Amino acid sequence: MGRAKLFGAGRYISCYLLLLPTYVLVSVFSFVPFIWAFSKSFYRYEVGGESEFIGFANYLEYFSDPTFGPSFYHMGFLTAFAVVVGIVVPLIVAKLIFSLRSEKLKHIYRLLFLAPIVVPRVAVLMIWRFMIYDDGGMINEFLRVLRLGEMATGWLFNPTTALWAVAFIGFPFASGIHILIFYAGLCNIPESVHEAALLDGATGARKFLTVDVPLVLSQIKLLVILTIISWVQGFEWILIVTQGFPGYKTMVPGLWMYYNAFSFQRMGYACSIGVILFLVILVLTVLNLRYFKSAESVQGVG
Amino acid sequence: MVRKRTIAIHAILMVFVVWTLIPFLFVINNSFRTTSELERSFFGLPKSLGRMATFTLYELTGKSDKIVIRTEVEGDNDWGSGGQTEMKTLEYGDSMRLLWQDLTSGYRLSWKDLRPYTLNTFFVCFITVCGVICLGSISAYIFSRYKFPGRSFLFVCVLSVMMIPQVLTLVPSFLLVKKMNLLNSYWVLILPYVAGGQIFAIFLFKSFFDGLPQDLFDAAKIDGAGHFRLYWNVVLPLSKPIISVVAILNVLGTWNNFLWPFVTNTDPKYHVVASGVYVIGKVLEGTDTVTNLPAMYAAYVLSSIPLLILFVYATKPFIQGVSAGAFKA
Repeated sequence: MGRAKLFGAGRYISCYLLLLPTYVLVSVFSFVPFIWAFSKSFYRYEVGGESEFIGFANYLEYFSDPTFGPSFYHMGFLTAFAVVVGIVVPLIVAKLIFSLRSEKLKHIYRLLFLAPIVVPRVAVLMIWRFMIYDDGGMINEFLRVLRLGEMATGWLFNPTTALWAVAFIGFPFASGIHILIFYAGLCNIPESVHEAALLDGATGARKFLTVDVPLVLSQIKLLVILTIISWVQGFEWILIVTQGFPGYKTMVPGLWMYYNAFSFQRMGYACSIGVILFLVILVLTVLNLRYFKSAESVQGVG
Repeated sequence: MVRKRTIAIHAILMVFVVWTLIPFLFVINNSFRTTSELERSFFGLPKSLGRMATFTLYELTGKSDKIVIRTEVEGDNDWGSGGQTEMKTLEYGDSMRLLWQDLTSGYRLSWKDLRPYTLNTFFVCFITVCGVICLGSISAYIFSRYKFPGRSFLFVCVLSVMMIPQVLTLVPSFLLVKKMNLLNSYWVLILPYVAGGQIFAIFLFKSFFDGLPQDLFDAAKIDGAGHFRLYWNVVLPLSKPIISVVAILNVLGTWNNFLWPFVTNTDPKYHVVASGVYVIGKVLEGTDTVTNLPAMYAAYVLSSIPLLILFVYATKPFIQGVSAGAFKA
């Protein structure tokens, strides 16, 4: 009995020991920075200088920052745009591939749409910046070929087009993993559902909207959350493509945080912007889960 | 009727495919052209390729005297006598060598910069993937197969890390690695990548291990397998599909991560491909953009090749993994 107990305790210890590396790494690189971010946001903390507790002053300063309003507007615009096109186009393309007969062609189409993921994201953004939107880039040269040369402009440097130009990076939004995820969702719809829809006379677009879309809701929910998270925090796009210029026309909060941390050395202020973005992501995720949950349960009752 | 519908679907899909791939085709095409060609027109096929074909035709039809190449006159270039050219009749082999040099000039230029970055990325990717698979599978195995006090609390702790956005931890993580004196090294990339990558790996591994039948473990125990042998000889060989999904996801993530290496490794010695490609673009932009456009395009092509190779070999398990529902909320 005593021996068994000892053996048990020994086994617990070896379990903990084997888990230790995981927890050391997670603590150092996730939990400590997480807690630091909150505590530093209440300090005036510049690299090389003394840190000084200033309460909510960083937050108050950010709310009256001239970039605050525009940058949140840009972030909201880009996120909403990305959510809509990132759901609608891949879903339609997945549905089109799914409704083909030949298994081989289905496979080839999936491969073709997945293929662009081999190009590093930075390279894709540089291609859009230097080859497509540039003064002598693809769009302008094409316009010149069509004798529409006067429409040519520096798409990313023109204040009226810059934000739209950023939003349209990746057009026609049909590449990548979203199509695969929707395709897998469509495959999981049981055959009986399709038959029932056919009996009820639902075909084409009507069937797509009333049968297919509600049944891939869990995939839509996942991609909506992922897209929101990646656009609320994803300022690398803007950093690479426009750096927030012209003026503040493409500035987003994450990029302002980056500038404050790594250009102006204002770490405390940057941390407070990070905390605000974290709260935004948290609220949006909770709202998203709740809204979609209710939508799903309504559908379950009906 | 059905046939018409199928054709319409194919037409729409082809439009999407072509439109998606066209920018990349232009990148490949323009990487083989010379700066002066690009200056003259954005559209067009590589000139040297066409001339190689023509000259080969001349050679085969015995009209080798028509192999003529326009070369710039050397010397006195400070007055901008770039317009001064001279027609030269060449041997077939020499002309081919010259044209080949024109064709690949962008690649030779960018490969010089990109080679060390690629090696760095390979090294970081390799260590990261090994670390993630090792730590992730061991932790997941313990969570899945052993009972000990605090198990579910510890598991929730790990999963909660997935909720922490990178934008929040970027600045404090930077301060932390700076304090640990890790800036400008391989470890500043590897350690956080392993720390972050193992979370999702634990999640995937655990759901896979949970699905393994209990009989398997009982049988192995009766055969006298210890804890380690059970993990090493029974569980790991069965986990090959899930290991490949974890590996692919981590290679993709490591390869594409731009911001962290860009911020922490400012020394060119430790640049990875993602930050290196950006820096190459920046450098070219700062100087004379026009002179180096083919080199820039070549850099994008070169940076895509390793993932293309991975893609060819790993698409099948990856598509299967995604289709099996690895991504579901």
